[in-house]
Amino acid sequence: MAKAKASQAAAESAAGQAGAIDGIPQPKLDWAGRSNQWGTRVKPNAYGLRLGDLNVGIYGEIPDQWQDQTRNPRGAIPRKGVPPLGFAIRDKSDLWAESSGDLYEEAIQRRWAPATDIPWNTLKPLNEGLERAICQVSTELCQYANCDVETITSWQHQMAYGYHEVKQFLATASFDAARQFEAFRKRALSNGGGLGLEGPGQVNRMILESRGGWTEAVTYLFLMRGTFTMTMLRYLERYAHNDAERALYRYTLQDKARQMTYGLEHLQYSIAHQDDMALIMQQLLFIGDRVWAREMKDHVLMEALCVVFAGGISDAGTTGYAIYRQMMGDFMNSYVDTCEWLGVKRQPEMMPNSMTQYLKVN
Amino acid sequence: MASVFPSEDWFNEVRSVFNSDDSYRGAGGGSCECRSAMKIGRRVFLLNFEGIECAPVVEADKGALADVDFYLDMPLADWQAMVKDIAANGGASLHYTLNTLDLDRAEGLSHSVHEDQFREDLFFRYNQTFQFFFDASARIKTSFG
Amino acid sequence: MVKGPYIGYILGDLNYRREPGMSEAVDLATVEIELKLDWMNRQGEWQTHAKPGKSGLTLADIQIGSYGETPEISDNMTGRPRGAQARPGSFRIGNYSVRTKNEIWLENASFLYEEALQRQWSSATDVPWHTIEPLPDDIEEAQCELATFLTEVEFVAGDVPARWISETTPDYFEPRNVLLAQVMDEARHMDVFRKRALANGGGLMQATGGTAGVVGSIDLARDFTEMSSRLHISGEGAVLTIFRMGELMAYNDAEKAIYRLCAQDEARHVAFGVMHMRYMSEEAPDRHEEIECYLDEAERQILAGSQNPAGNQTASSEALAILLGGGVAHYDEGFRKLMAIRRRQLVEYMKRVKSAGFGKRFENGRSQVKEMMAVSAA
Repeated sequence: MAKAKASQAAAESAAGQAGAIDGIPQPKLDWAGRSNQWGTRVKPNAYGLRLGDLNVGIYGEIPDQWQDQTRNPRGAIPRKGVPPLGFAIRDKSDLWAESSGDLYEEAIQRRWAPATDIPWNTLKPLNEGLERAICQVSTELCQYANCDVETITSWQHQMAYGYHEVKQFLATASFDAARQFEAFRKRALSNGGGLGLEGPGQVNRMILESRGGWTEAVTYLFLMRGTFTMTMLRYLERYAHNDAERALYRYTLQDKARQMTYGLEHLQYSIAHQDDMALIMQQLLFIGDRVWAREMKDHVLMEALCVVFAGGISDAGTTGYAIYRQMMGDFMNSYVDTCEWLGVKRQPEMMPNSMTQYLKVN
Repeated sequence: MASVFPSEDWFNEVRSVFNSDDSYRGAGGGSCECRSAMKIGRRVFLLNFEGIECAPVVEADKGALADVDFYLDMPLADWQAMVKDIAANGGASLHYTLNTLDLDRAEGLSHSVHEDQFREDLFFRYNQTFQFFFDASARIKTSFG
Repeated sequence: MVKGPYIGYILGDLNYRREPGMSEAVDLATVEIELKLDWMNRQGEWQTHAKPGKSGLTLADIQIGSYGETPEISDNMTGRPRGAQARPGSFRIGNYSVRTKNEIWLENASFLYEEALQRQWSSATDVPWHTIEPLPDDIEEAQCELATFLTEVEFVAGDVPARWISETTPDYFEPRNVLLAQVMDEARHMDVFRKRALANGGGLMQATGGTAGVVGSIDLARDFTEMSSRLHISGEGAVLTIFRMGELMAYNDAEKAIYRLCAQDEARHVAFGVMHMRYMSEEAPDRHEEIECYLDEAERQILAGSQNPAGNQTASSEALAILLGGGVAHYDEGFRKLMAIRRRQLVEYMKRVKSAGFGKRFENGRSQVKEMMAVSAA
């Protein structure tokens, strides 16, 4: 234990001076001088003073397992005899991604507010079919965001404090999701339309029911749903009908990309540090693909996207559908490429035809 | 030409600086919905924030204090000391920030007539906005008539 | 930063990666489908024209028609956005324990959420870290003790609300979004005090263990209002005072900014608690006595306990007295200031509880707070 310089002198000084005044208790100062590492002086740099900059000396030692069941900050001296809080996730391989601290700072730097950062005044009346389609897509994106909120917040409190960077990053991710929920609700209610029909919810249920651990939740929430949402947002941005929507999709896309970076890096870390994690993920995705395929058979979202991409109903079944297929091709290629990059085998014969059909598009 | 502190002109000149500088809307500043008053000796100035802007400041009588969420009250000399400190340092120095003045004075700085702490808490909730506002006074010329 | 086939996201770069890119040449209309479009007749209330006001397009602006109607009891088990058309075949995904409006509601949630979004700040760049200069050893050590305590306790208010968010129906998304903003705020608080501890030649010290999961703690509340009374009213009300003291006793502009900005966030969280309790008081008089019991417990365990560093003789209160006095040699002076501020803290607490509709407890002898004030004044 490093002794803080002040402690001895402080104790002596206090003993000599305090307590001499009536009614003022003498300080015990039993806390003084108790530090695992004193003399730390982290300086700000061109990016300010970031969370990751603090990982110096023992403060940057991030163990593979964190046994402490209290809220002891990493690097502080734990107090003995504190009743445990029962954190379920205490293995680094179950939540870690090296970039968590940087992504946390980035989320703060790149904050935005739907109320004031979206040029709502650029919304103009659209043809009714198009407005209904945009409102339907907005409704489903709201519901995706709701799933993000409920999934992330149900895991956050189970994570041990030794990995505070991840806890802090996930605080930004759930806040992003709240903003996405808010932003798409605002879009649906601001141009003469309203909310649409709720989604089928099968994939949402699968994500929320990831009982096997946070890594399983990340597999479904980010690798599968996240890849799809990102692809969809990119196409929506490309085929947006006004500046407000363009900004809306662009901002949410940035947020989603940040979450994807955490998610995929965590999966990579987990696979590298757990013997059979790649095989587990392969099994999870085998199951997940079929749930996904069942949900995608629902025509509502597909038709709404076709109408949005075509700018109305008249060309939705031709031009709109062609763009939709293009989007699904991009999604499937990204999904399969990412799985392969992670080392999770995804032969087409393992996947439902309704998914692999799109692999041929691009 | 220097504006006399305190006066409507002085507050409104500061208000112009505050409203025209986007940097006051970040860094913990930003949207603020609050009705406050500055009681400077016996004089009262109403300082209302609506969204990201400060509304025109008007002088009022003491009765107006009943309508505000909170008011900041100091003798004229103490207000002048604060404004001089801000002018000399380009912003409040360690001993002249609003919160410090509130806690460092036996009688406090922030008060209300209604005694509703929820409304009084707006002084804390929007503290950075009020600090930015008074710090903006460093960018105008002040005289103390 | 990880590099992969999909991610390629570069810190600080505005652009998300476009590879694998979207095809520029779409093969149009080689396949044609007939759309059913039946869903166009199964949507929520139509003809909604929310318009932005002076503060942009806020949540308050979209409380239009049925979209502004919040059910007293939510039967939404599928996670659909409030006002969307229900789909009979949709899966029940919600494991919501908070499905009654008065359990979580407050009148100004939309406003607090928008305020939280607008008033975010960055501990990396909005704190003038360069103004920190070496301090006398006893002062630095006291700052680090306090920073360690705050690093430890701040994310209680992140972990616990998060758990409740996951159990709250999206029909009450307005308060849920405020709580999500709070989780974000608390992450920043945890981070900024860690930064302070490691930025000026000191380090983290010993944890207090004051946030243990013992009966009566914030962690173990079994009801949202119980949790909120402990967390928002008692706990964060006390921490708000600490932050205000921190601003008072700051030794440089960096510390001034840290404590001032944290106090703003904390005041917003306290406002949530006061307004929720006020709503509960007005809408659920049958739960009045129950809430009084929570306040009894909160006053005993938080105001008088080790989570309140302004209380006597905790490590954090000693550190505060050293900082307020200007060093160990002036401990007595600091202690007097601490007691004066503690009295104000208790006055503010009482006024908040009154504002929330539970002021009688201070007149009928139920509350112990006045006794606490007498002790601190002695």
